[in-house]
Amino acid sequence: MRRPGHRGPVGIPGITSVKKAKNLRHTLKRLWDFFKSEKRKLIITFLLILISGVLGLSVPFLVGKAVDAIYPGKALVEFEKLRFIVLTLLSVYLLDNMLTFLQEYTVAGIAQRVVFSLREKLFGKLQSLPIIFFDKHTHGEIMSRLSNDIDNVSATISQSTVQFMASAVNILGSLVMMLYLSPLMTMASMITIPMVYFLTRFIAKRTKLLFREQQKTLGRLNGHIEESIAGIHVVKAFNNEEKVIAEFKAQNDRLRDVGVKAQTWSGFIMPLMNVINNFGFGIIAIFGGSLAVKGIISVGVIASFISYSKQFTRPLNELANTFNTLQSGIAGAERVFEILDELEERKDGDNALVIENIRGEVEFKDVTFEYKKDEPVLRNISFKVAPGTNIALVGPTGAGKTTIVNLLTGFYEINKGEILIDGINIKDYKKDSLRKIFGMVLQDTYLFSGTIKENIKYGNLDATDEDIVRAATLARADDFIIKQTQEYDTFLNEGGTNLSQGQRQLLAIARAILANPSILILDEATSSVDTRTELKIQEAMVRLMENRTTFIIAHRLSTIKDADIIMVIDHGEIVEKGSHEDLLEKKGHYYNLHQSQFANVNI
Amino acid sequence: MNFGYLSKYMRRYKKQFFIALAFLILETIGDLIQPTIMSWIIDRGVKQGDMNYVLKLGGLMLLMTGIGASCAIIRNIVSSKVSQSFGSDLREDLYIKIQGFSFDNIDEFQDASLITRLTNDVNQMQNFSHGMMRVFVKAPVLGLGAIVMAFILNPKMALILVGVVPIVSIIIAINLKISYPIFTRIQKALDKVNGVMREYLAGIRVVKAFNRFNHERERFKTVNKDLKDVTLKGMRIVAVFHPLVALSVNIGIALVLWTGGLRVNAGNMEVGKIMAFINYMTQVLFALMILTRVLNMFIRAKASAERIGEVFESENSILIKDNPSHISNGKGCLEFENVYFKYNLDSGYVLENINFSANSGETLAIIGSTGSGKSTLINLIPRFYDVAKGKIRIDGIDVKELNLSELREKIAIVPQKVLLFTGSIRDNIKWGDEKETEEEVEKVADIAKAHDFIMSFNKGYDTYLGQGGVNLSGGQKQRVSIARALIKKPSILILDDSTSAVDMITEKKIRKGLKEYLNNTTTILIAQRITSVMDADKILVMDKGRIVGMGVHEELIKTCEVYQDIYQSQIGKGGVNLDA
Repeated sequence: MRRPGHRGPVGIPGITSVKKAKNLRHTLKRLWDFFKSEKRKLIITFLLILISGVLGLSVPFLVGKAVDAIYPGKALVEFEKLRFIVLTLLSVYLLDNMLTFLQEYTVAGIAQRVVFSLREKLFGKLQSLPIIFFDKHTHGEIMSRLSNDIDNVSATISQSTVQFMASAVNILGSLVMMLYLSPLMTMASMITIPMVYFLTRFIAKRTKLLFREQQKTLGRLNGHIEESIAGIHVVKAFNNEEKVIAEFKAQNDRLRDVGVKAQTWSGFIMPLMNVINNFGFGIIAIFGGSLAVKGIISVGVIASFISYSKQFTRPLNELANTFNTLQSGIAGAERVFEILDELEERKDGDNALVIENIRGEVEFKDVTFEYKKDEPVLRNISFKVAPGTNIALVGPTGAGKTTIVNLLTGFYEINKGEILIDGINIKDYKKDSLRKIFGMVLQDTYLFSGTIKENIKYGNLDATDEDIVRAATLARADDFIIKQTQEYDTFLNEGGTNLSQGQRQLLAIARAILANPSILILDEATSSVDTRTELKIQEAMVRLMENRTTFIIAHRLSTIKDADIIMVIDHGEIVEKGSHEDLLEKKGHYYNLHQSQFANVNI
Repeated sequence: MNFGYLSKYMRRYKKQFFIALAFLILETIGDLIQPTIMSWIIDRGVKQGDMNYVLKLGGLMLLMTGIGASCAIIRNIVSSKVSQSFGSDLREDLYIKIQGFSFDNIDEFQDASLITRLTNDVNQMQNFSHGMMRVFVKAPVLGLGAIVMAFILNPKMALILVGVVPIVSIIIAINLKISYPIFTRIQKALDKVNGVMREYLAGIRVVKAFNRFNHERERFKTVNKDLKDVTLKGMRIVAVFHPLVALSVNIGIALVLWTGGLRVNAGNMEVGKIMAFINYMTQVLFALMILTRVLNMFIRAKASAERIGEVFESENSILIKDNPSHISNGKGCLEFENVYFKYNLDSGYVLENINFSANSGETLAIIGSTGSGKSTLINLIPRFYDVAKGKIRIDGIDVKELNLSELREKIAIVPQKVLLFTGSIRDNIKWGDEKETEEEVEKVADIAKAHDFIMSFNKGYDTYLGQGGVNLSGGQKQRVSIARALIKKPSILILDDSTSAVDMITEKKIRKGLKEYLNNTTTILIAQRITSVMDADKILVMDKGRIVGMGVHEELIKTCEVYQDIYQSQIGKGGVNLDA
């Protein structure tokens, strides 16, 4: 259980992840694409913020006026004026808070919808990625992008959008008000701006890298967690809890270390901003004081001015802080976009054909496939089978039998040669319609969490309950299903772990029967099913295979023996081809396999 | 509720926590004094035209700010360290706890939920702990401080401030009460999203094979939408309460202005004090806003804390003896006596009345129909599950009496469903025993007939495997898995139908190699093929959870009907069961 496969593009044909220069503007621009549909809501939010910003700005103004009314320089308080100002202030507060509510309400909607579509898009993307992508990334790592990274984006959106707009409005408004009150003092207080700018830049530069590292480490840790929990049965079987814990610890410690660094650095912003603020305040007080002494401005103006300068620096600080949190959101977004940038499975051409009523003629023309560069798994495979033929693939493990069917279904792209179905290159068919013609029972049976019925129905979503029972009966799965507590409605765990391996295979067979495909692929379909049950399924299998092009990979003779063509695969090549009788007569590879079996059974 | 587990961390980080707190308080005092100094500057300096005073106090204020900032920076370093370490410790303990779970416990929680708890829930708590040291304490201190200062300034007007607080408290309390169940629901919705995603990733080949993209997309859409809706609901509730809190304080500010006017008129108060009052008011508002936010964070963390607590609390269904017996140089004798087993209390027995024994070095084969209980039976030996009735003994000692880790150390399993991990082939084989040498790795790989195909790869033993060993064929995976078990040099080796995807000739070679390598190891072999079991020392024939035949091939072929059936199915009718 090492680090997930961050091995970069190692020359896997056609699959090189597009490494775009990671820059802030680019990422933001792409993020913006997800906001486009929210444009109207964004404008509304902006208007709300604008109004509430203006309202917010009028507060110090009103407070200053109130103070002036209380202390007009004369002895008496001007109560008429004060009452009016206080009442105005109250209505401003009321309106402002209503607007705040509306704005938070709208932004929550925007953020959640954007995140929703980001998640949806990511999941959709995963569906169009080739299998080879999933071979390279651990599940936990991909999940981490879907949850943690998108969470980061979400937090950033909901905080930053409002913050940015509000800050901009506040800064601008305060500036106007400050200029109106006293251009001179405004100039003096501007001294803090370059300080804020350089500080933010200095810190954001560090946090950006740290956040990215943190998300990456978190992804790896999640990869480890997912894999070791999915494999906990094996961990326990090997008494290796301590080993996985040690590995976990290493990743976890790394996450802690980078987390401490990221947090520390981003935590520096606020206290340092505070220093800058108070520095600015000091300047205003000294400068304003001396102006007031000279009688150039009133005390009320200083009071208002201090309020404004607070209203000016606070959004400035918040902007700096937001810019910092933004780094974490950007780090998340970049990791999401990394997946969105992965090369997809071959797209359907414009003239892609929809397969209809196929006969099931299959031809491999000089097909070569490399899983890794210069390690061909299949070499120059050529064969042609007529519709309805039953083809058995035999040969030692790792010879490339499964690969042949994986290529036929388009799971992997071939490097050389072509594969034809009904005389047409499979690349010219629409992928959707191509996959529809296959029914597969795979070596690794996978069932989904859900009821037994739902799992069988996976083969054909339109099937009726009767169809399902019929398919299950043919597959001899009915026997054990009706013994379950809730029969067809019995709930299966993830991966169907509450069934035995053999039972899972029987369900997978039922699923394939229900799919009623034009080309059937049985890859070790019954390897975990006991031979007596297999004999019973035999009849159904024979009927299923009748007049249907079928590829069978199996180690048991009964099915292979009756196949129309047996192809012996060794080291990625077809070494023999023919019927059972032909091949026995030939006294080659097949004959040897056969003989060794004879010797063992002693008959 | 079960938050008791948290006290451990509190104790562990008490010192740092209080250091952070101390600095936080210093920092807050700095913040509190500033408005007062400011009012002095205006009232005594600016208004009196005393520039020296302004300069002096201005300098003092900058000094206070500097001290405050230094405190903040130290506090930040400490609090980052504490919160990250707390999160990391919590995650680690949780992980260790889960690693100690029995299969029952894991089935109960389901993988996806355990993963969310380990990742997202821990993060929520970590964020909260960081927030706590950052602002949670600061906010009440700042608020309280502002109130105290207001009292010093003018007790009667401070009553306005005091009046605002209970109103706001009620508002916040209502907010929390409504939000809490929603945050729990958010975490559950997240479980679901993670669950669908995991299944999709694990079943990707099936999804592609059956072209069920739309189906999966729909499934994902449903859970994704649920997550969106419930999160939105949570956020919108917060959106209602925030302005309410702010409005309450705002009304207070207006009151201060009005009554302040009255008091100034009566000659009881100076204008500068009204300014200071409004500043304190703003500070209280600020504190309350943060408090509302942090409390919302708190209940979110509480929802997560409870989910984590559930894991810590769940008792391991496999009872561990306090004073376990030790296996002395295990010989590997195995004995089942009247063993019964069921998965759930309310379901029927999966195994009934199982009696057999295997002596050291013997090979015991188990054959039987699908779902007859073969895999279940062997899962009882290393105590993945415990028997319902009866006893399993190894070298004469009940497995329940043995030290669990020693017990599992003696046993190696090659599971039916092969699970390899990301990493090189060498790592995967060495997984069985880290300390073994390179020669040993190659030796066991050779016995498992994996050496040749491994060497045919460009990178040999360094060939990198994806999750689950996806880039190997089924048979290759099984052989690596066998090598991994062999390197452990177990006293008992369990092969659960572990050569089903291996061709017959290779299987024969493997069996031969095993015999030589493991002359002292008791081997338990589950197989479908009669040829795999026929030369075993003892064969168990299982049917519907019972043993229906026991003996050697020659006996069973004469006496056991089920065995004859199996034999017929493979050899009798179809001629010879030829495996390619």
